[in-house]
Amino acid sequence: MKKKKTVFIDGPISPAFIANSIEKHQTKTTIGAHDIFLGQVRADNIDGKIVQAIDYSAYKDMAEDKFHEIREATFSKFDLTCMHIYHSLGIVKTGEICLFVFVSAPHRKVAFEALEFLVEEIKKDVPVFGKEILEDETHVWKVNR
Amino acid sequence: MELKVMYFGMIAEATNCREEIISVGNRCSIYQLENLLKDKYQNLQPISFKIAVDKEILQNDILLTPNTEIALLPSFAGG
Repeated sequence: MKKKKTVFIDGPISPAFIANSIEKHQTKTTIGAHDIFLGQVRADNIDGKIVQAIDYSAYKDMAEDKFHEIREATFSKFDLTCMHIYHSLGIVKTGEICLFVFVSAPHRKVAFEALEFLVEEIKKDVPVFGKEILEDETHVWKVNR
Repeated sequence: MELKVMYFGMIAEATNCREEIISVGNRCSIYQLENLLKDKYQNLQPISFKIAVDKEILQNDILLTPNTEIALLPSFAGG
Protein backbone atom coordinates (compact mmCIF):
# COMPACT_ATOMS: atom_id res chain seq x y z
CA MET A 1 0.00 0.00 0.00
CA LYS A 2 1.26 3.46 -0.90
CA LYS A 3 1.89 5.98 1.84
CA LYS A 4 -1.25 7.89 2.76
CA LYS A 5 -1.19 11.54 1.87
CA THR A 6 -2.23 14.22 4.29
CA VAL A 7 -5.62 15.60 3.43
CA PHE A 8 -6.64 17.66 6.43
CA ILE A 9 -5.68 21.29 6.84
CA ASP A 10 -6.38 23.38 9.94
CA GLY A 11 -8.80 26.17 9.09
CA PRO A 12 -9.66 27.48 5.61
CA ILE A 13 -7.75 26.63 2.43
CA SER A 14 -6.25 29.87 1.15
CA PRO A 15 -6.41 30.99 -2.51
CA ALA A 16 -2.60 31.32 -2.35
CA PHE A 17 -2.29 27.63 -1.44
CA ILE A 18 -4.44 26.74 -4.45
CA ALA A 19 -2.43 29.00 -6.78
CA ASN A 20 0.80 27.47 -5.50
CA SER A 21 -0.55 23.99 -6.14
CA ILE A 22 -1.38 24.93 -9.76
CA GLU A 23 2.08 26.39 -10.24
CA LYS A 24 3.75 23.18 -9.03
CA HIS A 25 2.20 21.32 -11.98
CA GLN A 26 3.81 23.48 -14.64
CA THR A 27 6.80 21.13 -14.78
CA LYS A 28 4.56 18.12 -15.48
CA THR A 29 4.23 18.58 -19.23
CA THR A 30 2.35 15.35 -20.04
CA ILE A 31 -0.66 17.06 -18.47
CA GLY A 32 -3.05 18.76 -20.91
CA ALA A 33 -6.03 19.37 -18.62
CA HIS A 34 -6.60 20.26 -14.98
CA ASP A 35 -9.96 20.37 -13.28
CA ILE A 36 -10.56 21.83 -9.83
CA PHE A 37 -13.44 21.69 -7.38
CA LEU A 38 -13.60 24.20 -4.54
CA GLY A 39 -16.14 23.81 -1.77
CA GLN A 40 -17.05 27.15 -0.17
CA VAL A 41 -18.95 27.70 3.08
CA ARG A 42 -22.38 29.10 2.29
CA ALA A 43 -24.24 31.63 4.44
CA ASP A 44 -27.46 29.60 4.61
CA ASN A 45 -30.48 31.06 6.32
CA ILE A 46 -31.68 28.53 8.89
CA ASP A 47 -35.04 29.51 10.40
CA GLY A 48 -34.16 33.19 10.15
CA LYS A 49 -30.58 32.87 11.40
CA ILE A 50 -27.61 33.23 9.07
CA VAL A 51 -24.73 30.74 9.11
CA GLN A 52 -21.45 32.47 10.05
CA ALA A 53 -19.01 29.57 9.85
CA ILE A 54 -18.74 25.80 9.87
CA ASP A 55 -16.68 24.04 12.53
CA TYR A 56 -15.47 20.81 10.86
CA SER A 57 -14.48 17.70 12.76
CA ALA A 58 -13.76 14.17 11.59
CA TYR A 59 -13.20 10.59 12.61
CA LYS A 60 -9.69 11.18 11.36
CA ASP A 61 -8.33 7.63 11.15
CA MET A 62 -11.33 6.38 9.23
CA ALA A 63 -11.50 9.52 7.08
CA GLU A 64 -7.86 9.11 6.03
CA ASP A 65 -8.51 5.46 5.14
CA LYS A 66 -11.56 6.49 3.09
CA PHE A 67 -9.68 9.27 1.28
CA HIS A 68 -7.02 6.71 0.43
CA GLU A 69 -9.57 4.17 -0.87
CA ILE A 70 -11.29 6.85 -2.93
CA ARG A 71 -7.95 7.95 -4.43
CA GLU A 72 -7.07 4.38 -5.37
CA ALA A 73 -10.53 3.76 -6.86
CA THR A 74 -10.32 6.96 -8.90
CA PHE A 75 -6.85 6.16 -10.21
CA SER A 76 -7.95 2.69 -11.30
CA LYS A 77 -11.10 4.01 -12.98
CA PHE A 78 -9.67 7.04 -14.78
CA ASP A 79 -6.44 7.73 -16.66
CA LEU A 80 -5.21 10.55 -14.42
CA THR A 81 -1.70 11.94 -14.15
CA CYS A 82 -2.23 13.16 -10.59
CA MET A 83 -4.78 13.99 -7.95
CA HIS A 84 -4.82 16.11 -4.80
CA ILE A 85 -7.44 16.38 -2.08
CA TYR A 86 -7.46 18.85 0.82
CA HIS A 87 -10.20 19.28 3.41
CA SER A 88 -10.43 21.77 6.26
CA LEU A 89 -10.84 20.93 9.92
CA GLY A 90 -11.87 23.47 12.54
CA ILE A 91 -13.51 26.80 11.83
CA VAL A 92 -14.10 27.95 8.23
CA LYS A 93 -16.03 31.19 7.84
CA THR A 94 -18.65 31.80 5.16
CA GLY A 95 -17.05 32.58 1.81
CA GLU A 96 -13.90 30.65 2.68
CA ILE A 97 -12.79 27.41 1.01
CA CYS A 98 -13.19 24.13 2.91
CA LEU A 99 -12.54 21.55 0.16
CA PHE A 100 -9.99 21.61 -2.67
CA VAL A 101 -9.96 18.74 -5.15
CA PHE A 102 -7.52 18.93 -8.04
CA VAL A 103 -7.18 16.38 -10.86
CA SER A 104 -4.85 16.44 -13.85
CA ALA A 105 -4.88 14.29 -16.99
CA PRO A 106 -3.55 14.34 -20.54
CA HIS A 107 -7.05 15.21 -21.87
CA ARG A 108 -10.06 17.14 -20.56
CA LYS A 109 -12.88 14.54 -20.57
CA VAL A 110 -11.15 12.25 -18.12
CA ALA A 111 -10.44 15.20 -15.83
CA PHE A 112 -14.12 16.31 -15.85
CA GLU A 113 -15.43 12.81 -15.12
CA ALA A 114 -12.84 11.93 -12.49
CA LEU A 115 -13.45 15.16 -10.59
CA GLU A 116 -17.20 14.62 -10.35
CA PHE A 117 -16.69 11.02 -9.24
CA LEU A 118 -14.17 12.07 -6.59
CA VAL A 119 -16.25 14.86 -5.09
CA GLU A 120 -19.38 12.69 -4.91
CA GLU A 121 -17.47 9.85 -3.23
CA ILE A 122 -15.94 12.24 -0.69
CA LYS A 123 -19.34 13.67 0.23
CA LYS A 124 -20.88 10.19 0.53
CA ASP A 125 -18.19 8.12 2.28
CA VAL A 126 -15.84 10.27 4.35
CA PRO A 127 -16.77 10.74 8.04
CA VAL A 128 -16.48 14.50 8.30
CA PHE A 129 -18.98 16.43 10.43
CA GLY A 130 -19.94 20.08 10.21
CA LYS A 131 -21.31 22.28 12.96
CA GLU A 132 -22.93 25.34 11.40
CA ILE A 133 -22.40 28.29 13.73
CA LEU A 134 -25.26 30.80 13.53
CA GLU A 135 -25.20 34.54 14.13
CA ASP A 136 -26.53 34.23 17.69
CA GLU A 137 -23.81 31.64 18.47
CA THR A 138 -26.25 28.74 18.55
CA HIS A 139 -25.55 25.94 16.10
CA VAL A 140 -27.09 23.25 13.91
CA TRP A 141 -25.43 20.18 12.37
CA LYS A 142 -24.94 20.16 8.62
CA VAL A 143 -26.11 17.17 6.58
CA ASN A 144 -24.94 16.51 3.00
CA ARG A 145 -27.73 16.30 0.47
CA MET B 1 -16.38 -8.03 27.06
CA GLU B 2 -15.51 -4.38 26.99
CA LEU B 3 -15.67 -2.19 23.92
CA LYS B 4 -14.24 1.23 23.26
CA VAL B 5 -17.00 3.35 21.77
CA MET B 6 -16.36 6.76 20.20
CA TYR B 7 -18.89 9.47 19.49
CA PHE B 8 -18.72 12.18 16.83
CA GLY B 9 -20.54 15.36 15.86
CA MET B 10 -24.10 15.63 17.14
CA ILE B 11 -23.76 12.16 18.69
CA ALA B 12 -21.01 13.40 21.03
CA GLU B 13 -23.32 16.26 21.92
CA ALA B 14 -26.17 13.84 22.74
CA THR B 15 -23.99 11.56 24.89
CA ASN B 16 -22.01 14.48 26.33
CA CYS B 17 -18.76 12.56 25.90
CA ARG B 18 -16.34 11.65 23.08
CA GLU B 19 -15.51 8.11 24.04
CA GLU B 20 -16.10 5.55 26.75
CA ILE B 21 -15.79 1.87 27.56
CA ILE B 22 -19.05 -0.08 27.32
CA SER B 23 -19.50 -3.57 28.80
CA VAL B 24 -21.57 -5.98 26.73
CA GLY B 25 -22.28 -9.72 26.73
CA ASN B 26 -19.97 -12.02 24.81
CA ARG B 27 -22.40 -12.49 21.93
CA CYS B 28 -23.37 -8.92 21.13
CA SER B 29 -24.28 -7.78 17.63
CA ILE B 30 -23.96 -4.26 16.29
CA TYR B 31 -27.74 -4.03 16.46
CA GLN B 32 -27.78 -5.03 20.15
CA LEU B 33 -25.08 -2.48 20.94
CA GLU B 34 -27.13 0.19 19.18
CA ASN B 35 -30.17 -0.63 21.33
CA LEU B 36 -28.09 -0.69 24.49
CA LEU B 37 -26.72 2.78 23.73
CA LYS B 38 -30.16 4.14 22.83
CA ASP B 39 -31.40 2.90 26.23
CA LYS B 40 -28.46 4.54 27.97
CA TYR B 41 -28.84 7.82 26.07
CA GLN B 42 -32.45 8.73 25.33
CA ASN B 43 -31.14 11.71 23.31
CA LEU B 44 -29.76 9.32 20.70
CA GLN B 45 -33.17 7.98 19.73
CA PRO B 46 -34.19 10.64 17.18
CA ILE B 47 -30.72 10.84 15.58
CA SER B 48 -29.88 8.83 12.51
CA PHE B 49 -26.39 7.32 12.68
CA LYS B 50 -24.17 4.56 11.38
CA ILE B 51 -21.85 2.36 13.41
CA ALA B 52 -18.30 1.77 12.24
CA VAL B 53 -16.38 -1.24 13.52
CA ASP B 54 -12.64 -0.85 13.11
CA LYS B 55 -13.34 1.98 10.66
CA GLU B 56 -15.71 0.01 8.43
CA ILE B 57 -19.49 0.28 8.31
CA LEU B 58 -20.79 -3.28 8.55
CA GLN B 59 -24.19 -4.98 8.51
CA ASN B 60 -25.79 -4.64 11.91
CA ASP B 61 -26.31 -8.36 12.54
CA ILE B 62 -22.55 -8.95 12.75
CA LEU B 63 -21.26 -10.06 16.16
CA LEU B 64 -18.73 -7.80 17.83
CA THR B 65 -15.38 -9.09 19.01
CA PRO B 66 -13.17 -7.77 21.83
CA ASN B 67 -10.58 -5.08 21.10
CA THR B 68 -12.49 -3.56 18.24
CA GLU B 69 -12.91 0.17 17.88
CA ILE B 70 -16.55 1.19 17.63
CA ALA B 71 -17.64 4.62 16.37
CA LEU B 72 -21.10 6.17 16.15
CA LEU B 73 -21.22 8.38 13.08
CA PRO B 74 -23.97 10.89 12.38
CA SER B 75 -24.69 12.12 8.82
CA PHE B 76 -21.58 13.11 6.92
CA ALA B 77 -21.09 16.75 6.00
CA GLY B 78 -17.75 16.89 4.20
CA GLY B 79 -17.07 19.41 1.46
